[in-house]
Amino acid sequence: MLFKLQKKTLIISQIIGYAFTLLIGATIILVTSQFYFDIKPLLSQETDLFKTKAVVVSKNITVFKSINKEKIYFTDEEIKELENQPFIKNISKFNNASFKIKAYTKESEKVPGFYTDLFFESIPQKYLDVETEEWDWDPSLDFIPIIIPENYLKLYNFGFAQSQGLPVLSKNTISLIEFNIKVSGNNQIKRYRSKIVGFSNKVNSILVPEDFLLWANKEFGRGDKNKTSRVLIEFKNPSDKAILKYFNENNYSISKDKLEFSKLVFFFKLALLFVFFIALVIIILSISFIIISLNLIIQKNKELILNLYNIGYNHNRIAKFYQIFISSTTVLLIIIAIFISNFTRNYYIEKIVDLLDFTSKSNYILISGMSLIVILIFAYNLFIINYIKKIVQPREEKISKL
Amino acid sequence: MTIRLNNIKPSYMSDSEISESDIYLQESVLFEKGRKYLIRANSGHGKSSLLNIIYGSNANFDGNINYDGSSNHNTFSFRESKISYVFQDLKLFPDLTIFENIQLKNGLTNNKSVEEIDHLIDQVLLSHKRDNLVRNLSLGQKQRVAIIRALCQPFEFLLMDEPFSHLDEKNCGIISNIVSQELEKQNASLIMTSLGDTSYFDYDKILNL
Repeated sequence: MLFKLQKKTLIISQIIGYAFTLLIGATIILVTSQFYFDIKPLLSQETDLFKTKAVVVSKNITVFKSINKEKIYFTDEEIKELENQPFIKNISKFNNASFKIKAYTKESEKVPGFYTDLFFESIPQKYLDVETEEWDWDPSLDFIPIIIPENYLKLYNFGFAQSQGLPVLSKNTISLIEFNIKVSGNNQIKRYRSKIVGFSNKVNSILVPEDFLLWANKEFGRGDKNKTSRVLIEFKNPSDKAILKYFNENNYSISKDKLEFSKLVFFFKLALLFVFFIALVIIILSISFIIISLNLIIQKNKELILNLYNIGYNHNRIAKFYQIFISSTTVLLIIIAIFISNFTRNYYIEKIVDLLDFTSKSNYILISGMSLIVILIFAYNLFIINYIKKIVQPREEKISKL
Repeated sequence: MTIRLNNIKPSYMSDSEISESDIYLQESVLFEKGRKYLIRANSGHGKSSLLNIIYGSNANFDGNINYDGSSNHNTFSFRESKISYVFQDLKLFPDLTIFENIQLKNGLTNNKSVEEIDHLIDQVLLSHKRDNLVRNLSLGQKQRVAIIRALCQPFEFLLMDEPFSHLDEKNCGIISNIVSQELEKQNASLIMTSLGDTSYFDYDKILNL
């Protein structure tokens, strides 16, 4: 009977307005936050780059620096300063070979003969973007594995081989070709067998195992201090915008796609945040809307509420209808929003999986939706009870004087 | 339950307005169980104020009230089972039918069965209007609904604020019979206000406001 009476007090157009805005706001907020969770791993680390979040950093070469070569090296102070940056997790130097290296083959049917000067560098193995079992250096075998940039192969295949009428080589073919390395320095000469065991996309250098280079520098090196022109920097979070700022300010060169990616991530996050913020505004508006509507309903029916109170209905019983009505409307709408959000998520995941190497992450839509339900229902119930109590309260307060 | 008024006076009435009152500003006025009281006064003398003060819906008064000897009561809780009230402005719900209006009150305690309610409606000659909205009734019909609604709860005191103001002799007679029976059944007291003398009940005490 009470519900029948109170049902007539509702203003349906306002309830529909609330339902509509809440549905839109809740759906957008659920989708954007879930989308953020889903693509966060893609944003915070580029999976096809270094396995660890590391980049090669060098100084920009300018006309002035090409005259004074010393300027391209990092000083100890600069390295120390880099180490102290909050966004840097780890920093490793490139090791240079300080001895003479020559590579050559004897001409055979398979391979044309060549003879060339070479240089070697090394980086810690964990930063390598090449997986190979042959990377370990065994001093007893007189064998040195080498990694070259993949660009060198492309340069040869699509440039040099074309113009000189030489055969093109696949990665596998190249890996089969053995050649010789002659290392000399400190009045010593040593010959090694060698082979290209991998191709790096990211390190533009000819790499050998680090323990070989350290040993060989001692053995054949000129003994001068190892100068560092390139460092490998491992970031805590490569999309941290402080990285960009810092390297720009210090005129350091950072691998460009990293930079672009970082910028992209920054704007993408900003856009996502913006959408999230708009959704939040929509939800807040819808909440304000229903609060104002309830306010109006209660004010408009003040006499009815007071009459109910007068014939013995306490504020809890009077509030109950509005509480149940608003709570169930909200629950229903957010459940619909959860369904729509899940549907949308399945759709965009399907698209992302087509484009990227993507593994599905945990789905937080349900739990976020439920939290939203709990928060809203708590707030509404508190509001309704207190507001209706306030309508009948002045009397109660005075009654307590009795 | 007994109700004792000590030096009661609505705060908004001046002392001159209430001189020669049997109730206001009297040191002690006692309403006992099972008795019938008539409170007489011309309009504007605070009849409704007095009943509202007793009912707990008007706290704007000086003095104090004791219920069963104690002044520390939550009067709201009396509304379900101790004090029933026929308001002067009736406080019916125009968008509900006669039956629904009564059932709304009855639903708080389930004091009467549907048959009993129907019987009451029948007694006050409104059975043909049972399912009509109250907004379409005449004032006299509404008054009858308000009175039988007040009977649909357990009570020890029945407050009636000029309940017969819009009723004809015949209806007054019917209503007073029903009320008397209910008072007797519940062994309850009646406090009724009226502009003048009424002889519908055997009053134990007549007080002038």
